[in-house]
Amino acid sequence: MRKMLEADVKNASLERLDGKQKLTGKVRYTSDFKLPGMLHAKVLRSPHAHARIRSIDSRRARALGGVLAVITGADIATLPDPFYGVGIRDQPVLAIGKVRYIGDMVAAVVAVDEATACRALDLIAVDYERLPALMSIEDALDPSAPDIFEEPSGGSPLIVGEGAQSLKEPRKNTLYEFQYARGDAEAELAAADHVFTDTFHFSRIHHFHLEPYVNVARAEEGRIEIWSCNQDPFILRNDLSRMFGFPLHNVRVHTAMVGGGFGAKSYCKMEPLVVFLAMRTGRPVRLCLTMDEAFHTLTKHVAVLTLTTGVSRDGILIARKSDIRLDGGAYSDASVSTTIKTGYRITGPYRWKAVSTVASSVRTNSVPGGSFRGFGGTQSSFASESQMDMIARRIGIDPLEFRRRNLLSPHEPFAPGDTAIDSDVELGLLRLAEKVGYVDRPRVPGRGIGLSIGLKDGGGTGNQAQAAIKVTDSGDIIVQAAAVEIGQGVGTVLGSIAANILDRPLSAVRYAEIDTDHTPLDTGTHVSFATTVSGRAIEESAYDVKRQILQFAADRLDCTPDQLTLSDWTIRLGNRSHDLRSMLRDYYGPVGTEFVGRGSMKIPYDTAAPLGSKNLFWMPCWSAAEVDVDTDTGQVSVLRLVVGADAGRALNLAACHGQIEGAALQALGQSLFEELVYSGDVPANADPATYRVPLVSDLPVSFESFVEQHGMGPGPNGAKGIGESGMLGIAAAIANAVEDAVGVRITKLPITAERVLDALDEKRKAALAS
Amino acid sequence: MVDVTFCVNGREMSANVASNKTLADFLRDDLYLTGCRIACDGGVCGACTVLVDGSPVAACSTFAFEIDKSSIETIEGLAAPDGNLHPIQQAFLKSDAFQCGFCTSGFILSVKALLEMHPSPDDRTIRDWLKGNICRCTGYKSIMDATRLASAMMLEAAP
Repeated sequence: MRKMLEADVKNASLERLDGKQKLTGKVRYTSDFKLPGMLHAKVLRSPHAHARIRSIDSRRARALGGVLAVITGADIATLPDPFYGVGIRDQPVLAIGKVRYIGDMVAAVVAVDEATACRALDLIAVDYERLPALMSIEDALDPSAPDIFEEPSGGSPLIVGEGAQSLKEPRKNTLYEFQYARGDAEAELAAADHVFTDTFHFSRIHHFHLEPYVNVARAEEGRIEIWSCNQDPFILRNDLSRMFGFPLHNVRVHTAMVGGGFGAKSYCKMEPLVVFLAMRTGRPVRLCLTMDEAFHTLTKHVAVLTLTTGVSRDGILIARKSDIRLDGGAYSDASVSTTIKTGYRITGPYRWKAVSTVASSVRTNSVPGGSFRGFGGTQSSFASESQMDMIARRIGIDPLEFRRRNLLSPHEPFAPGDTAIDSDVELGLLRLAEKVGYVDRPRVPGRGIGLSIGLKDGGGTGNQAQAAIKVTDSGDIIVQAAAVEIGQGVGTVLGSIAANILDRPLSAVRYAEIDTDHTPLDTGTHVSFATTVSGRAIEESAYDVKRQILQFAADRLDCTPDQLTLSDWTIRLGNRSHDLRSMLRDYYGPVGTEFVGRGSMKIPYDTAAPLGSKNLFWMPCWSAAEVDVDTDTGQVSVLRLVVGADAGRALNLAACHGQIEGAALQALGQSLFEELVYSGDVPANADPATYRVPLVSDLPVSFESFVEQHGMGPGPNGAKGIGESGMLGIAAAIANAVEDAVGVRITKLPITAERVLDALDEKRKAALAS
Repeated sequence: MVDVTFCVNGREMSANVASNKTLADFLRDDLYLTGCRIACDGGVCGACTVLVDGSPVAACSTFAFEIDKSSIETIEGLAAPDGNLHPIQQAFLKSDAFQCGFCTSGFILSVKALLEMHPSPDDRTIRDWLKGNICRCTGYKSIMDATRLASAMMLEAAP
């Protein structure tokens, strides 16, 4: 075994800038925001999965005292562009002519308070003509199925690069298809010693963010203003500008602290509706969805993934052909990019001669699928890492050894035209195996250990961040970036980057509230992006200020900047010290001055890269589970969970552990029990009382996270993002552990006692038959 | 409307509340104690937990009039008047036991009730007491750590 790098090198764990506010209850979320004269909106939702709207009679609702407006799709249809979605734009602000899932927004009421608005909803009569509901990928692709959309949708598929194709609405009820190929997969598979085809089913879960979806909008004097929990202020500004026909400078988005999102609050959703209602009533309008409504707004994508993998008899991977179908639900949301990412990541951190992937997003009459921590990486990692173990066992090689034989080395490109994996994946795997005691594990009946290596790309395709810092003459720092504080601690880490460069304590930093009129632009708080991309922009901003300070001091002291050092807000020239604040006040006068530094980072487009831009960094997730399987009941107990990610260089070690552990426990829930279940066309547990998320009592008795620091990230000091990592590998690790324990393979999430028991019964029957 | 007298964070108060108003709405809208968070709005997630006569209660599922002659403790009452954090708050800060913060008020108050009943709880007791609070961010490990730390800090500070 190679000598390991020191994993837990000493890193400062920073005290969070938002800590005191959050611990004392003083923090202000958008849900706490009020404006004078503010009205309240509520939404009428479709009770049918698929139906034509024959008519809507809202007269009784309008006549109710305290109701100021009732609007429907007919009102919305008057907008310059009533549709939103990422790439392909097919979702109307309110249903126009047709509803496409249970929960689809049909009408909205504005009233003096929420209770009145709710009463008015009951008075709206909608006449529906029901259509067959297409509740699964197979239903939707059946040639006799009705079209969920009769007309082509607006927008365009995203642009991809070398070896890839991007197809908008290629066939019936299919939103989008991504294809990627390199080498001749058919020929390689035909020549391979072994070829295995396996199919995996990935389940639907909801984000269960605690802060509700909430927006307050105001429309006055030709401008739109919104206070939103959305994590993408500038994407939202673009959408509102396009949809309402307002120039960008007349759209202003404010973002407060966000109370959790996990992807749910990315991209445009109900925000245009709130703006429309504010315009219609001439008063500020607040729409705060209930948690039940959140369940009917967005989910993680259901997926069916069929992998055909060729391998040599000595355990070398040759080629993989993948057929991936995501259930995108009724509307596009982020399905196009999720499909691309699922398809591209399906080959994992391994070396291949040939790859051929077709991934599509199918339209069904269910809640739209969209961004969820891992963004397709969880789906692809579950399938790929499950199959890796299955193949290893079939060809008689230990799964750990099988992985080691095929891992990409650091500096070896993930795919031709793309970047290399900037982690020593094998190093992390060996550390994982050591921590969980994999190699010398005692064989106890019903007990097993499974390993997996989740992988996704990070930083996004072609993304950018601009940033600025303002530094007062006392050395106080105001950090301005559009990276939304959603719990990850972005303000703290960006603040620490600036503070370190200017030799200021973190207590001298404030992370400014986001306001698109003032905050520099970025492409959204996504893709584990902020530490790396916004971090680089802040780093540049801080160096910019430092240059300005040293130049100022050099001018005053009649020397050159390189003769000076800045420490503790003091300028040193040789062995003489000058208090910087005094120098600045002496020159600028009693109001003092501010330095403004700017920085930016753009991931360039590159058509030679398969996704149209080289991936910025890679996010491996080393996961191990030790399980105990009760062969009488099928119950799986996770005794131990070990999960690690590579932070490149941890800028806030405690926060890195927090990100990994939080993601891992979300994944544990999905692996074992959490699922948004449809009963026919009805989401059966789309409410907090019946939908089960992990509780503290679900925490495995032994739960360890580890932070690798391989120093190869493109962020400040080699840092890279890890926000999604912990989510990627858990499901496969648990499935692999179950097979290690009792010899049955579960290919469908969640891994319930019923499924395990069924598999055990099958195995017993097969044993008897032979 | 119902007349109620009660004590919030040590202050005696009286109010005339609508009989259908929840305690969460009363605290947030009338007393501006917005540290009481409304998430599931159905008594499931614990984000709105406040202490009524020392016991954790889901404010979203309690009528305001029910607090008549009771003593209410909200997150705003925990830190000392000089701003010094309560040991539980300090422990949450040191253990990084929060991320987005939306569940934090409820968790801290549940821990307070727990430690009043069990000053030195074992892990099983902590799990039992805190399983009525949902955190979707942290993965709970740091919250367990914070609870143990708070217990140790409070025992040490106790006379």
